[in-house]
Amino acid sequence: MVSPNRKVAIVGIGGVFPNCKDLSDFKQRLFAGESFIREWDETLLYGSSFRSKVSGFIDPKDISIETAYCSVVEGYAREYIDTLNRIPAGNMATSDMSAIGSMLGALGAIEMAGWTESEIQSEQTGVVIGTNNGGHALERPAWKGIFEKQQKTRLMGAHSAIRVMVYREAANVSGLIKNKGVCESIGSACATGLGNIGYAYRLIKFGLQDRAIAGGSEGNSIETFAGLDAMGVLSRGFNPEESSRPFDKDRKGLVCSFGSGVVALEEYEMAKARGANILAVIDSYFNNVDGDGDLFFPSFSGQKRLWKGMLDQHPVRPDVVKVHGTSTRAGDPVELFSVVDVLGDQGYHISAPKSQFGHTLGAAGAIELITAVMMLQEQKVLPCLNANNFNTELEPLQRTAEWDGPNYPINHYKHLISNKIVEKEINQIVCLNYGFGGANSAMSISKPS
Amino acid sequence: MERQEIFDGLLEIFRSVRQIDPEKLKNATEETDLVADLNVPSTERINIVIKAEQVFDVQFDDDDVDDLGSKMKDLINLIIETKKIV
Repeated sequence: MVSPNRKVAIVGIGGVFPNCKDLSDFKQRLFAGESFIREWDETLLYGSSFRSKVSGFIDPKDISIETAYCSVVEGYAREYIDTLNRIPAGNMATSDMSAIGSMLGALGAIEMAGWTESEIQSEQTGVVIGTNNGGHALERPAWKGIFEKQQKTRLMGAHSAIRVMVYREAANVSGLIKNKGVCESIGSACATGLGNIGYAYRLIKFGLQDRAIAGGSEGNSIETFAGLDAMGVLSRGFNPEESSRPFDKDRKGLVCSFGSGVVALEEYEMAKARGANILAVIDSYFNNVDGDGDLFFPSFSGQKRLWKGMLDQHPVRPDVVKVHGTSTRAGDPVELFSVVDVLGDQGYHISAPKSQFGHTLGAAGAIELITAVMMLQEQKVLPCLNANNFNTELEPLQRTAEWDGPNYPINHYKHLISNKIVEKEINQIVCLNYGFGGANSAMSISKPS
Repeated sequence: MERQEIFDGLLEIFRSVRQIDPEKLKNATEETDLVADLNVPSTERINIVIKAEQVFDVQFDDDDVDDLGSKMKDLINLIIETKKIV
């Protein structure tokens, strides 16, 4: 039934997180203030090709996944094996590591949600999960065999097209849980994770589905890493745990990371009626695009319109703003100034979880929404790790003639940004994520009443 | 190479396919049908062909793979025929 009055609850969370065994390991170490960023051995294989060497990558062994390599196509993962038998072999056969992370996340979120089999397999249950990269980890060695060694295409195996297709995460999760509602994927670069959850929220909000498994995922990809390294936006020159440093004046760029984040969403009254443990309520979701023709540089006016769009839907007064906070020279000031321009400079804290695990790209919005749910549960603000010193001078964009934002340097707002965990009452959190191409997304969540 | 030797080698391959129930292989014969008897997904057949090429050191013609039947004996015959040509 279409009803704009429907509300949407988050009833389950799950995923695969850099350098972590599982969700509880992730949560425990997040709130211990740890960094999950390590030197990535794959970058070291290519000598001086890569300037950045650090990442929050997924080691399959950490999540009890073994890789069976093809004996004739060098480096080609013929199949992955779940040593804990959480996922049937037939589903593993059609998956890459990103789809596997999504399936593990979905299983965890569904278990937490407590949905029955008939609820899961209903026409009213949808799956909406997206990614940012194209399955390069499988394609590269397979293509090398074909194009350089003239090997038969069939050596890629019969499942290769499915294992790398753009909505492989959604398709494999759907194949695993056998839902009968929608199954699709939205891509908006680093806004993908929140974008897919936002779309799923709308499906429920407007009565098209009652439940949804939604999120974002990013499988390890040295090719994606290379593209960002080529742009010069990756952090370098610090110890791994100090490499991601949003808002710090010495920040050198983002840390390219990987992972999967999945949430279980349900229409609020249905969840309440069955006695579900409601983790959070989604107040609103809004997204837009910069509209200035610049696919790279963030837009202050685009982000201000994002806030206006969200506030027009639903007034918010967040206790925490979970920022995109990439640790890039360009991104952090624009984002901070758009936040303070709307909210002022008192009454809330800024949290930048990328400081702990890096930028998980297509998974970022989903994993970081999960961290926001955890902040509501723990009543603690996750830190902006390594934000130790702030620029006391105006940023270059503040010196331009067309600048119409705050005229204080970042240092003026240092009281909003803590490099340590802050304990406080948290009732509402706004989550922000942006993507190359100018995509902007915002979601407000609240503690259930 | 004897037919029995090829049959045994194929059984070994089938045991390594995680989607085949090992119980169903206990009474396998040359007449055993991959689809009807072993419930091998159609897409998995090409992966078995790849493994057979590696184990028996042959490379099948693409058209022969297209025309391959679904019984064990069809695969055994193809291996023997291909080895003869080589």
